[in-house]
Amino acid sequence: MATLTIPLSRIEGHARVVIAISNGQAVSAHFQATELRGFDRFVQGAPAEQVPSIASRICGVCSTAHHLAATKAIENIYGVAVPTKAVRIRELMMLGQVIQNQATSLFMFTMPDLPGQTGVPSLFHLDEVHSKIAPRALAVRRVGTALITLAGGQCIHPVRAVIGGVLGGITHAAAEEMRAQLAQALTRAQFLLDAYWALFEGLEDRIGTLGDDSPTYYMAAIEHGHAFYGEQLRLMAPDGTAVEPFAACDYAQYLTDVPIEGSYSDGTLYRGELLRANSLARINLDPHPSTPLALAYTDRFWAEWGYPAHAILLFDLARGIELVYALERARELLDEDLETGELRAAYTPGDGGGCGLVEAPRGPLIHHYRVERGLIQEARFVIPTQHNILAIERALLVAARRYISPKGIDLELERAVGRVVRAFDPCIACATH
Amino acid sequence: MPLSYAVLQLSGCSGCEVSLLNADVWTKEQTLAYMPLVLSIEDLPPVDLLLVSGAVNSEDDYDRLQQAVHRACRVVAVGTCAISGGVANLGTRESAQEVFLVDPARRHLPRLLPKLRPVDAIVPVDLYLPGCPPTPRLFEALLGQAPSFLPAKTVCQDCGRVKTRTRPDRLASTAGGAIDPEVCLINQGYLCIGSSTRGGCGAPCTRAGNACVGCRGPSNGFIARSANEWFTAIKRVFQNMTAIPDPEIDAALRSPALSLFVFQFADYTGMSRDPGKVL
Repeated sequence: MATLTIPLSRIEGHARVVIAISNGQAVSAHFQATELRGFDRFVQGAPAEQVPSIASRICGVCSTAHHLAATKAIENIYGVAVPTKAVRIRELMMLGQVIQNQATSLFMFTMPDLPGQTGVPSLFHLDEVHSKIAPRALAVRRVGTALITLAGGQCIHPVRAVIGGVLGGITHAAAEEMRAQLAQALTRAQFLLDAYWALFEGLEDRIGTLGDDSPTYYMAAIEHGHAFYGEQLRLMAPDGTAVEPFAACDYAQYLTDVPIEGSYSDGTLYRGELLRANSLARINLDPHPSTPLALAYTDRFWAEWGYPAHAILLFDLARGIELVYALERARELLDEDLETGELRAAYTPGDGGGCGLVEAPRGPLIHHYRVERGLIQEARFVIPTQHNILAIERALLVAARRYISPKGIDLELERAVGRVVRAFDPCIACATH
Repeated sequence: MPLSYAVLQLSGCSGCEVSLLNADVWTKEQTLAYMPLVLSIEDLPPVDLLLVSGAVNSEDDYDRLQQAVHRACRVVAVGTCAISGGVANLGTRESAQEVFLVDPARRHLPRLLPKLRPVDAIVPVDLYLPGCPPTPRLFEALLGQAPSFLPAKTVCQDCGRVKTRTRPDRLASTAGGAIDPEVCLINQGYLCIGSSTRGGCGAPCTRAGNACVGCRGPSNGFIARSANEWFTAIKRVFQNMTAIPDPEIDAALRSPALSLFVFQFADYTGMSRDPGKVL
């Protein structure tokens, strides 16, 4: 049996794909994370109140999500009720996180795969026809980081969420200025998404597939009109029916870890079944978003691809719709007064266990801690990328079988592997932590 | 000729790379030759500047670093992990090793090194760009896009909060309480070490009301000195500006609450780094 190792780029972190071939047929495909730091080990002994700033360092791409999941977990242990305005400001942090991430993933990671016969090495290699894309994509992503900075104090490893609330409000003047930036970004995002959509259809014509389209479970911590802040975990079954939601702290009853061969990251099963998280899960679970432009795009999406959608490359387009949604939703939230009023509840530290949940760009993220005498005794991170790993491996096998035959290996294989992995936008720093 | 540069990512969080993406460096004056996060290219070509982020944590990190430095004229250690190991240096290595050892299916993975190392413990480094992460402005300065940029000596100078005659007599509790948006955090009783921490970041944390934990490392005056001298200097600031009893300051400075970054000061002082090489 021969194995084929394919390195990966334009994803967060270090990973590779290993395909085993026997008699001219792909027999297995593994997605292997090759890095490890060990956060669940070294946060042990840290003061509970320090965890929001330590755990954000799990990932610089998703640091806002970790910062807030950690904060919410400690609040869960202390039994603190966070004031509504502080929740709004945290929601703005999450929306900024989603704007930044979806713009990065869509334009810097996957868009270079689309043009021509082979794609291009990076966003900065697009041709003259598409020369307006890179500067606009960078500008849209920067509005996401500006929004995190406004609400979170710092765009990478934010500092403004503290146990009980947030450190400061958002002045009316700053909110107005941000609303103007978001309006401009929204125009640019529409231009970019339209350009992406056209190139995407070109790709489908060229390769004749949108990848693995077998149904799975879909999981997301969202409600209609949400801002990625996370209340409970909702699921859709492979046949499209809704499944009873569950609370963050009950995750162990539903989600099981599966070791992945040759990888520092485990995968996840939902009650023994394959599941998917990230943009396609969210759009399937909330098919008619609450903001007007995102709604128009989803109508077009369902008309073109059908509901619910299962083909994996549609994760990319769904991410573009979410970019528009997050820009619109952030403008709505900034209409409210976030300058005055209670932003931080007093609390009494205590011991015990608790969970914090947010809907990170890649899906539901849970931080679970046990605190004794004010120090972390035990930590567990339930990571969205892990929820997708078995789905990635199945999709890789579908692609490998398409391009590997007894006659030989089609040159398209390596590009297909890149497209499959990037569709799930995995984050290896998070997955291995 | 435009400046060509490469970004080699070892064990870290990609925060430095994300910060670089936020910087105004995507111009004709620089050519990005290698950065797997955003660019698909097989091998690292010869470059003027090699930016290394993340710590040397696995044998894979070690090999890639060794190979990459031969292709670069100058090597820059970027971010706290590359310079002092960063947050992953907090715990004992034995516990992380266990993760590797428990599962035989992991035998083909890059092995974790017995000790996590900063970049300059393995290869010579020409420049240091500390911060967790360094701000976009600092990347612009590094890549020649901010000729007028003069970093402040300390975070204090960047901060802009007003020092008052208020002398708190105990450290502020983290459990609630309003933070005055204008007044120095030390005057409000917070354990802020911005007075000894390298400036240039623009003080986003302290401006937002969060005490500085020192992610940019020591200011020039402290780089070549021992950690004890640094502790003494911070203590003196609190003696001058507060009425908090000495033992309380001592205990707080050595408490786990500051464990995230304080250790890197000790790392600096152990390595005798040249302040002239630190941006």
